[in-house]
Amino acid sequence: MSALDNVNPIAAFLWLMMVAGIAMFCFNPAILAISLLGALLFFISRNPDARPSAHLPYLLLFALSVLINPLFNHNGATVLFVLNDNPVTLEAIYYGAAMGGMVLAVLYWFRSFQQIMTSDKLLYVFGSALPKLTLILSIALRYIPLLRKQTRRVRDAQKALGLFREENLLDRLRGELRIFSVLVSWALENGIITADSMCARGYGIGRRTRFALFRFQLREGLMCLGCLLLGGCTIAAIACGALACSFYPRYALPSPNALGCAAYASYTILALFPALLEVEERIRWKSLKLKI
Amino acid sequence: MEILKVENLSFAFPGALQPVLHDVSFRMEAGDFLALIGATGSGKSTLMRLLKRELAPIGSMQGCVYYNGVAQQELLERVSACEIGYVMQRPEQQIVTDKVWHELAFGLENLGLPQSVIRRRVAEMASYFGISDWFERDVSELSGGQKQLLNLAAVMVMQPKILLLDEPTSQLDPIAAADFLNTVSKLNREMGVGVILIEHRLESVLPMADRVLVLEDGTLQLDLPPAQACERLRSHPVLLDAMPGAVRLFHAVNGAGDCPITVREGRRLLREHFGNDVRSLPEATASRSDETVLEFKNVYFRYGREYPDVLKGLNLQVRKGEIFCFLGSNGSGKSTLLKLCAGLCRPYSGSIRIFGKKIQQFRGQSLYRDCVALLPQDPQTVFLKSTVRDELHEVHADPSALPYSLVHLMERHPYDLSGGEQQLVALAKVLASRPQILLLDEPTKGVDSHAQTAVLEVLQRLKAEGITILLVTHDVEFAARCADRCALFFRGEIVSEDAPARFFDENSFYTTSANRICRGWYEGVATVENAAELCRRNGGAR
Repeated sequence: MSALDNVNPIAAFLWLMMVAGIAMFCFNPAILAISLLGALLFFISRNPDARPSAHLPYLLLFALSVLINPLFNHNGATVLFVLNDNPVTLEAIYYGAAMGGMVLAVLYWFRSFQQIMTSDKLLYVFGSALPKLTLILSIALRYIPLLRKQTRRVRDAQKALGLFREENLLDRLRGELRIFSVLVSWALENGIITADSMCARGYGIGRRTRFALFRFQLREGLMCLGCLLLGGCTIAAIACGALACSFYPRYALPSPNALGCAAYASYTILALFPALLEVEERIRWKSLKLKI
Repeated sequence: MEILKVENLSFAFPGALQPVLHDVSFRMEAGDFLALIGATGSGKSTLMRLLKRELAPIGSMQGCVYYNGVAQQELLERVSACEIGYVMQRPEQQIVTDKVWHELAFGLENLGLPQSVIRRRVAEMASYFGISDWFERDVSELSGGQKQLLNLAAVMVMQPKILLLDEPTSQLDPIAAADFLNTVSKLNREMGVGVILIEHRLESVLPMADRVLVLEDGTLQLDLPPAQACERLRSHPVLLDAMPGAVRLFHAVNGAGDCPITVREGRRLLREHFGNDVRSLPEATASRSDETVLEFKNVYFRYGREYPDVLKGLNLQVRKGEIFCFLGSNGSGKSTLLKLCAGLCRPYSGSIRIFGKKIQQFRGQSLYRDCVALLPQDPQTVFLKSTVRDELHEVHADPSALPYSLVHLMERHPYDLSGGEQQLVALAKVLASRPQILLLDEPTKGVDSHAQTAVLEVLQRLKAEGITILLVTHDVEFAARCADRCALFFRGEIVSEDAPARFFDENSFYTTSANRICRGWYEGVATVENAAELCRRNGGAR
């Protein structure tokens, strides 16, 4: 599922924040289940080759959450058994499961988030608000590989000069300090060249504009609007208490009113949004093929 | 139309007694290609920087620079930034941002142009320069040549009328340098962009230039078309060193008439004026030591398990007291070979012996004590003090024991020295450990030809002291002058190896210009001195 990689980062960012944010702040088992399902579907479809071991730590985390909560939390009316004079309740297990589900869902959303939002996309999103910061970050990002390469060069050079002893910890520390001091003077001296190069190309003569490869088109506009509407509906339901649910003393998920129903529907669409996008794209290609 | 006029320009740095520039005047028509030459310290770079207001150094300036008839001080910021483009020496440090596309857009962003204009200009320039393939890459993934092309493209998007290029190819290998200079020449021909270029690879620059400006000790000595300027250079031995092979040969044989510049013209000169009864010089009988100091046997090396082999079954024997040069393209494994000799990497198969002892058996620092020393490509990786004196003191180097003098540099900051001086100071640090085998990685990179002669003399003196020198270089002319043996590297193997005269005679592309001039007329010519000697033996005009 790569349809989301090609949309404008602002739209993608808004959607990811909406879908993960609601999962984080709405403690409703139905919403969490939808969110978890959507997150898993999204991640697995993006990484079909991921080995089972890539999922294992997450499953362990979930299991831990289900097991640990009832050991420390003894609220709830339905006692299953007593362990070391402490009651283990069904409600506490439910609560642990919901908690684990939420953590899992949010983690999986962010795993996908990390893959979609590369450094240049993040820069673009935040740069709209802070253009100066974008440039500074871009310069900084350029310096990281540069310094890393130079560190390697300096280390080799100093070693082959016979000035870098590795016999004991103190010598090694001293050696690292030498490298650091060479790097600092190198960075300062060469920073002057970068500054010259910036001035030569008119830096600081007036207001800068910001160029980005990404375009914001009607499609993205509609996407953002959709996200806001669907997300807004869910958030409104949360705010009105239409999705409230209680765990203690007894687990109860009240059947939803009209607003609640709308919220469930909206969030389902939101969570399955990339899949819908993918389906839409496939249908379009199919029909194009038929026309050819 | 006159685009640039410099009138009686003098300049002195604050506190300096002598001015750097003295009463320099010249004019430039739109679309002119000027080559600015001069020895290190003649004021070339200062002159160049004074032409671009944003980069003008601080100091007292007299005289005036006019751009399009407007005095420099009165130019609009926007005009000055856009219409005069500047590219400097080090490709790496001029790049500002992390992505190729962002770098291209940087200048236009500064001008505050709207998105759509930036998009169009960036796209156009990327297509013209053939950058589209690496348009979305990180700049750190590019090669040196690509970086310098990117710097040029990032200036060209601003649509300059004049390009000022300050030794743009000094850090590049010959292939990338030729590529860069061809692009500049193409811009000049196809776009009519005016160019002022400081270069030490005059072989390819002189045929492109409309005029040559010769700067000596801050005064403009010559301002003439290339052929005439070259004719007048006989009285400037320092500058003659930098000239193309044909020009040096012309002066070495006291030629008369038109001065040849290209190899083609040089070949014509030879065939019209000199016989070839004596076809080759007697082979020099070098007294060679039989002691092998360094031996590679079937050495295989790669940087990681999943990477390809860099060295493939390398066999090599280096004898005591010889200068051994490795030539070859980028990535052929030359520098890696030096790293292996210096014990910075270990081969995964095969053996390396130094003085008959396996390299693994040198424990701790013993390899670097009185034995092996490596001078890295970039001398800046060696410096860490604020004066040359401190640098030398740090390694307990004795300046008086060196075969050259550093006295005049003692109080300077190592970064303020010229390329050649940096090499010599770095070499002094390396020599402090009294190595028997000296490994040099491109000692002539960024070093002008006069300073190259100085490096050459130092190497010869070290050789006389019995030190063995292994040298990696791209510079065939330098290799021809200094080597006892040369080897050509290709994909991790040595494909040919011989004394320079025969080595360069058997190569047809990877060879010196003197050899190319004499090919088919004389044999075994590596340097201009060889060629001149043969000309003299054969006698003058036929």
